Amino acid sequence: MGGVHPHDSKFAKDCATEVLPLPKTMYVSMAQHLGAPAKPVVAVGDSVRTGQLIAEPGGFISAAVHSPCSGKVKAVAPYADLSGRMVTHVVIDVEGDEWADGIDTSDTLITALPEDRQFILDRIKACGVVGLGGATFPTHVKLNPAPGSPKAEALLVNGSECEPFLTSDYRLMLERPKEILVGAAIMQKVLGGPKCFICIEDNKPEAIKVMDKALQELGFADMVVQPLKKKYPQGGEKQLVDAVMHRQVGSGALPISVGAVVQNITTSFAVYEAVQKNKPLVSNILTVTGDCLPADRHHNYWFRIGMPLSYVAEYAGGVPAEAGKIISGGPMMGKAVVNLDAATVKGSSAVLYLKRETTKRWQEGACIRCGRCADACPMGLEPLLLNRLYKAGDRLEELEKYAAQDCIECGCCLYSCPAGIPLLDNVRQAKQQVMGVIKARAAAAKNK
Amino acid sequence: MAETYLITPNPHWHSPVSTKRLMLDVVIALCPAVIASILFYGWSELAILVVSVASCVLIEWAVTKFLLKKPSTIGDLSAVVTGILLGMNLPAGIPLWIVFIGALVAIGVAKMTFGGLGQNVFNPAITGRVFLLVSFPAQMTTWPEPHGFIPNVDAFSGATLLGQVRLIGADKADALVNLSTLFRNIGGSAGEVSALLLLVGWLYLCIRKVIKPWITLSIFATVAAIAAIFHGVNPEMYTGPLFNLLTGGIVLGACFMATDYVTSPINSWGGVLYGFGIGFIVMMIRYFGSYPEGMSFAILFMNMTVPLINMAFHQKVYGRK
Amino acid sequence: MTSTLIWTIVILSCLGLLLALLLYLVAQKFKVEEDPRIDEIEAVLPGANCGGCGRAGCRDFASSAVAAPNLDNHFCPVGGNAVMEKVAAILGYEVVKKAPQVAVLRCNGTCAARPKVNTYDGVKSCRAEASLYGGETLCTFGCLGQGDCVAACSFGALSMDPETGLPVIDEEKCTACGSCVKACPKGLIELRNQGPRGMRMVVVCRNQDKGPAAKKACANACIGCGLCFKTCQHEAITLENNLAYIDSGKCKLCRECEAVCPTGAIHGINFPKPLDKDAVKERIAARKKASAEEGAK
Repeated sequence: MGGVHPHDSKFAKDCATEVLPLPKTMYVSMAQHLGAPAKPVVAVGDSVRTGQLIAEPGGFISAAVHSPCSGKVKAVAPYADLSGRMVTHVVIDVEGDEWADGIDTSDTLITALPEDRQFILDRIKACGVVGLGGATFPTHVKLNPAPGSPKAEALLVNGSECEPFLTSDYRLMLERPKEILVGAAIMQKVLGGPKCFICIEDNKPEAIKVMDKALQELGFADMVVQPLKKKYPQGGEKQLVDAVMHRQVGSGALPISVGAVVQNITTSFAVYEAVQKNKPLVSNILTVTGDCLPADRHHNYWFRIGMPLSYVAEYAGGVPAEAGKIISGGPMMGKAVVNLDAATVKGSSAVLYLKRETTKRWQEGACIRCGRCADACPMGLEPLLLNRLYKAGDRLEELEKYAAQDCIECGCCLYSCPAGIPLLDNVRQAKQQVMGVIKARAAAAKNK
Repeated sequence: MAETYLITPNPHWHSPVSTKRLMLDVVIALCPAVIASILFYGWSELAILVVSVASCVLIEWAVTKFLLKKPSTIGDLSAVVTGILLGMNLPAGIPLWIVFIGALVAIGVAKMTFGGLGQNVFNPAITGRVFLLVSFPAQMTTWPEPHGFIPNVDAFSGATLLGQVRLIGADKADALVNLSTLFRNIGGSAGEVSALLLLVGWLYLCIRKVIKPWITLSIFATVAAIAAIFHGVNPEMYTGPLFNLLTGGIVLGACFMATDYVTSPINSWGGVLYGFGIGFIVMMIRYFGSYPEGMSFAILFMNMTVPLINMAFHQKVYGRK
Repeated sequence: MTSTLIWTIVILSCLGLLLALLLYLVAQKFKVEEDPRIDEIEAVLPGANCGGCGRAGCRDFASSAVAAPNLDNHFCPVGGNAVMEKVAAILGYEVVKKAPQVAVLRCNGTCAARPKVNTYDGVKSCRAEASLYGGETLCTFGCLGQGDCVAACSFGALSMDPETGLPVIDEEKCTACGSCVKACPKGLIELRNQGPRGMRMVVVCRNQDKGPAAKKACANACIGCGLCFKTCQHEAITLENNLAYIDSGKCKLCRECEAVCPTGAIHGINFPKPLDKDAVKERIAARKKASAEEGAK
């Protein structure tokens, strides 16, 4: 159903990962996961070591944050994030990279799985692991479905990386396949042994081969590598459930309602590190790429969470002069960077430079009702209809009827519109309005 | 000051397919049939097409500039498509001033008064043609003998085959049409000259995913089915499926006019219903109406139902039963 | 020939009569008994259906006013006291008078005063832009300039000034219906009392950043220095979150705050004469001296 086929532009796919050296100062955001911001537990002047807890979860849906380096806390104060919003950061003057005690920093593969389910969940929570596919939802919450939820029948480990340009998941699959699989096995265990699918799009045959080989060598039962058709957004949670299990998740429901749990490849790796090595989530892979970079300037970096984006950009050779827009993430769902001095966060996956002419929005033309947006919508919505209803004003009932609230903001409609109508911009507003109505109604129903 | 970086919500990329590109594809798809019509009918047909396209573009430009006082929209090539389709819907040899009037009605009345591209209820080219048909019935049904660049042995002149059905009887008319008619001039409006080349263009559009095939297939299937039923009951009164598919404007209309984005349903199933409606109406006009041909009327009539069809047919939302 | 004519006329007439009868019966059947005063009130209302009163339109206002026990919660900002007097007369209620109001913009972040640091390229809508980020300048409180307020105004009282990038309010046309207030995602438009002969004092800024940040973001910003607060003799000015606010109920239009404001964020509107800053400053200095002497005694 739906989807588009943008050019995959994976220029950095053959660039092996490099480790970024530490900068002088690190800015660690307290709001780098979905849910309540973390509460800092360090004060100005404190000495910290790499991997040491610097902020604890600020609520049930929240995650711990750890120091990405050793050094002194310079400030705990609000700084602008990449869209310019003020968020509390812990600023650390870097002195070195001395790890806290009890963390295994070696590269030895540990395949023996721990027995205790609670031990695993505690480790994942303590290490601040969040979903690294984009939503940054705390992993320990997702792996521990609310009592009364259906039993997990399938664990979908998402390596589809359907966004153009991005190659961080791909590199991780090529370079650390066994760690990913052990991580997947750990999650499988926590969930009570559902079948596990390692989902990879068929435009990455290398990754499929490597993962297949690793799987054979490890000999895990109930785990298969599942090639998927190349399509954007194949890696969307709901789309993946549909593609692999042929089941559809209802409006507003979680995948667990149809017995599915979706986790990203990188999350699986982070789970491995947390559980087997007690290593908190302080680093991740980030792709520096774009359509205005020469072939030798694409990179995949292991970065420490808290490095300013500008530092990463500078290290990679500076922002190219042709860049018209800097994006954190992919071209379809990434965020335009307002403030390049913002810090990298757990969910950072790319710094993308796009040429002004490729990224500039088109002059808005007339809708010719060609229906390409409706064909492209992976949720089966009709963006042209939603756009019209939104612009007419006060048509919330109809917007809800035509499921504006189900929009996943993947951008396929705007991408495919031949008239360059800012469909998603308007549908997103409509969705927010309808969500407001739905929430108000739910609250009213609760009070009764 | 240097230009600052752009900021937008996602997505940050756009597919290369623009309205202009889609319209250009339609023009490309029409090329084989256009060339064939010029080869069959000669310079006069070329003149008609040139006048038709030029006046459509000119009128749209003039209306946007002087009446609407908005930026010109001729760059999207939709006026060019209307111009070609209008030209192909007229008999070769029609006086050029009539062509201009057709363009005036097509663009000036059917398109721009509704607010331009995307707003019109009726297909502009067909509106123009129907206006000419009722205003200049004589000129619009004078089918000249092809005197083009290639000799055409089996050309009919005077009335079209469809027009002759009532004169010579259905069974005799049927006998004049066989599969080879696909490849040859069948007489009638200039664009109807070669069904095969029209189908080639239609296939091109389908392969390029410019249009979906359902509307066209639905029209063909409906026409064939209705003709088969009536012909089966009384072959002397009613012409058969092949005759009805290959004569008149069915192929041109089904491939290029009924599939116009603006005036056809968005949903594929809606398109099937729309195609059925067109096929049904055209066959009723052919069998029982006073006109020999009814494709234009059928499409215009179904154009009116499109808003209703769009209200009734929606694609399935993910996760909904 | 004649008989055809006669028959046609007869049949058509009968048909007409029959249908008229049918229509009459249907109308009778579906007739809704309504308070006739609703129609009367609707007739005196401006009929703009702007929603400024908080109801769906003029008719809705009329029916809800008829049902209400008094007019405390009903006020038509567009018609003002004149219309409300008529409404009160129809209902026999006491009129609740309100001071006439006007929409006032509280941002003076002109293109010249506020350097652009990025270029917004999304849909032309303040609401969409505000939900994405703070805006094209360093000031995250100021006008986004996409003109949602202009689109919301049903009286043509708002227009965008291409020079400043800010909306301009035409006080003649403004009816204080409040549509623009609701449309602005930054809350920059406020309905304020018109003031005597339209004169009023306004802090034309909503920036709550600390002084240096505000100053950096916009040359015209209120930097929260508090000079106006200290100068005001009428307790009309409050200072909260680095931002001054003038209470129009207490302001005596002495224009002292305007004179002392270092960034020109306080505007005196509709005063017949331009402000003589030096004269006012001298007056303030003299008063301070006097009170200091008083204190010394």
